[in-house]
Amino acid sequence: MKGLLLVGGKSSRMGTDKAALILRDGISQRERGLELLGKVCDQVFLSTSSDSGEPNTIPDTFGPIGPLGAIASAQKADPDTAWLILACDLPLLEEEHLKSLISNRDQNQNATYFISASDGLPEPLCAIWEASSAAAVRSAIENGQACPRSVLKSLRGHALPSPGLWALANTNTEADLIEVRARINQSTHNKAVTVSYFAQLRELTGKDRELFETDSETPAGLFEEIRATYKIPLKRKGMMVAVNNDFTDWSHLLSAGEEIVFIPPVAGG
Amino acid sequence: MVKSEFRKMFQLTEQPIDPRTLCEAVRDPAAGGFASFEGWVRNHHEGREVSSLEYEAYPQLAQKEGARILAKICQEHDIAAARCIHRTGHLQVGELAVCVAVSAAHRDAAFAACREIIDAIKATVPIWKKEHYTDGTSTWVKCHHCAGHANDHTH
Repeated sequence: MKGLLLVGGKSSRMGTDKAALILRDGISQRERGLELLGKVCDQVFLSTSSDSGEPNTIPDTFGPIGPLGAIASAQKADPDTAWLILACDLPLLEEEHLKSLISNRDQNQNATYFISASDGLPEPLCAIWEASSAAAVRSAIENGQACPRSVLKSLRGHALPSPGLWALANTNTEADLIEVRARINQSTHNKAVTVSYFAQLRELTGKDRELFETDSETPAGLFEEIRATYKIPLKRKGMMVAVNNDFTDWSHLLSAGEEIVFIPPVAGG
Repeated sequence: MVKSEFRKMFQLTEQPIDPRTLCEAVRDPAAGGFASFEGWVRNHHEGREVSSLEYEAYPQLAQKEGARILAKICQEHDIAAARCIHRTGHLQVGELAVCVAVSAAHRDAAFAACREIIDAIKATVPIWKKEHYTDGTSTWVKCHHCAGHANDHTH
């Protein structure tokens, strides 16, 4: 099996290059991703946006359409192998997770992947894409549907149970980074906060309010826990959050006893 | 309803709104112009037949944010007085869901502030609505757009 590390993210929300971030072991996320893949794959490649001529790189041949283009480029470069596709910004991912992906692989399916703990959907960027998935990948790109998750959902896939809420956490936002760093440093601590639910969230949770025991540092982490607990089909992007009855940032540091309200897109008037 | 009931610039109510009382609340001898906006429950949305709407607010923050919006917009325009009242609960087609009333010395400021107030209220005040359709189904408006992809990988 060959491994492909995706580093092409624009990181528009962080304003930095996620691949160059050093979060663990004194090495960048790019170096750590290559190292992890190297432990479980025969050969490892780096996905790049343009042809650098460097060895062991696979340039995007489908333009700037994101990860699905990178997957298709790898499948074009070697159509006969299975590709282990890995995003570089999964700092809490361990070698054991990749080993479990490989040992549970089902070659008769189009892909083997983990289920996301927070929403129950396939995790496309820590997954084995078999050679048999290539046709669906190409046709999705040709139809302008370049979402890897949608492609995985449409394929015959072997779904593995989630390796936990944090193993596949990424670093898209400041709040994500706070949560990830706290887990790397093992500096999380339990606290009880009050969460009140309104409208759709009240219906989905079946509760007006509750005391919630959390080890999250921020409302962002807490929301992921709550999504996983109640199978809430809403994502954080586009939502707001209030602490003690006023708006605050997702990267706010939670204290015991605070009152939290998650605010899906509003619709007054 | 008497004027004193509209001391607060922004209010939530479970009772039907009488727009004339809101107009009286912004009456001012120095005002030569009055502008108002009424939001009504309409019988259709995105091609579907709507039978009723259910409004739910996060009251503490809705009142706080509504008051902030009115105070800010009044400061930015030459306004004599402004009020906004928003319904909560189950409303039938044709009922008044929201009403904005603004008085000012001149009409330009009244029109502009009235428009800005309703736009800002709709954008950030934590009020949600559930549409009930004639076919018996219902959905929280806007929220179905956030469903779907979750982890938001952006590589």
